[in-house]
Amino acid sequence: MINTLSYVCIGIGLFFWVWGTWPLVGDRSVLFKLHSLSVADTLGSMSIVVGLLLKIPREWPLLLLAIISLAIWNTVLGYVLAYCSSSKETP
Amino acid sequence: MNLILIIMLAILLIPLYEAWQDDNIWQKVLAFSSIASKTSIMILIVSILRDDWMIGVVGVIILSVGNAALMLLAHIIKRLNDL
Amino acid sequence: MNDSYIYVIAALLPLTSLMLVLQSNPYHALVVRGIVGAVAALVYAVLGAADVALTEALVGTMLAIMLYAVAVRSSLVMRLGVVAESEAVVKAEGDRDLQDILDHLRSIVAKRHLKLELVSYPNEKALQQALIAKEIHATCLKSEIESQPYQTTTRVRHLYDIFQQELTLPVTGLAYLSAED
Repeated sequence: MINTLSYVCIGIGLFFWVWGTWPLVGDRSVLFKLHSLSVADTLGSMSIVVGLLLKIPREWPLLLLAIISLAIWNTVLGYVLAYCSSSKETP
Repeated sequence: MNLILIIMLAILLIPLYEAWQDDNIWQKVLAFSSIASKTSIMILIVSILRDDWMIGVVGVIILSVGNAALMLLAHIIKRLNDL
Repeated sequence: MNDSYIYVIAALLPLTSLMLVLQSNPYHALVVRGIVGAVAALVYAVLGAADVALTEALVGTMLAIMLYAVAVRSSLVMRLGVVAESEAVVKAEGDRDLQDILDHLRSIVAKRHLKLELVSYPNEKALQQALIAKEIHATCLKSEIESQPYQTTTRVRHLYDIFQQELTLPVTGLAYLSAED
């Protein structure tokens, strides 16, 4: 039961990865790509890590740290990248 | 689990292709950030697959430190473009 | 070790390295170097060398990129000396000729992935001294000739050769100052 649930979580994560990464190939603006990447990619990664957590609950501190650092760093990184890439037009 | 890893490798090829074909530096940085987080998640999966705690720790450290390097790089590139 | 994915992951490393080698723009090469670092860390971790992977991520990706960035930033720049008042003129966009010259120079050196950096000096004498002391690569000065209001002087032979072919604006002359060593 739990094994199936973890595979479902990982499957959802992989789907989110494809969803977030696919817009990278295309002629959209950096901010559009950054949006899809930071939202879908982070959610996908977190879902995969939750799936792993369900699979092996023994290593929960490590995986919890992974989830927290994913959530915090990717959000901050999204802001920093958006600030750095868009401040060029309005000096 | 092997199948999951193969699918992840296939997904990893998308940002690699993007970094190859796009000439805008910010698009390349985006592809880099995507690749950095994907590879560290893959390291985590491999560590679970092999039941190796040491590789897992390395994966988590790379996950947090790689992003810090990316932020520094973004700021440096911004300064370069300001010149 | 009969895991088939190891071969696929190991194949990523030469692929990204080839990408890195084929980049012509040094700034793009910096970013691709980061990608190579991430992939290399993955390969090392999958092959079981956790310590090497950690070192690659910390030193190979983070430190090396910072050092390369500093090196690229300080070497791939052309420093052009101007007199302080003319820089203020450029900021106010009053002088069309100087604007044109600077834009033209920028586009020429951008083809070689260089950037143009303006360095202002209080008067022409300080400018000449800075050129001789190799603080700047070239100067752009007002000249007395009516049809050619500006004079660009460089002390770098290679820059002079490039400019001689491509700096075709009529408003500036071009001169080469051979530095005595």
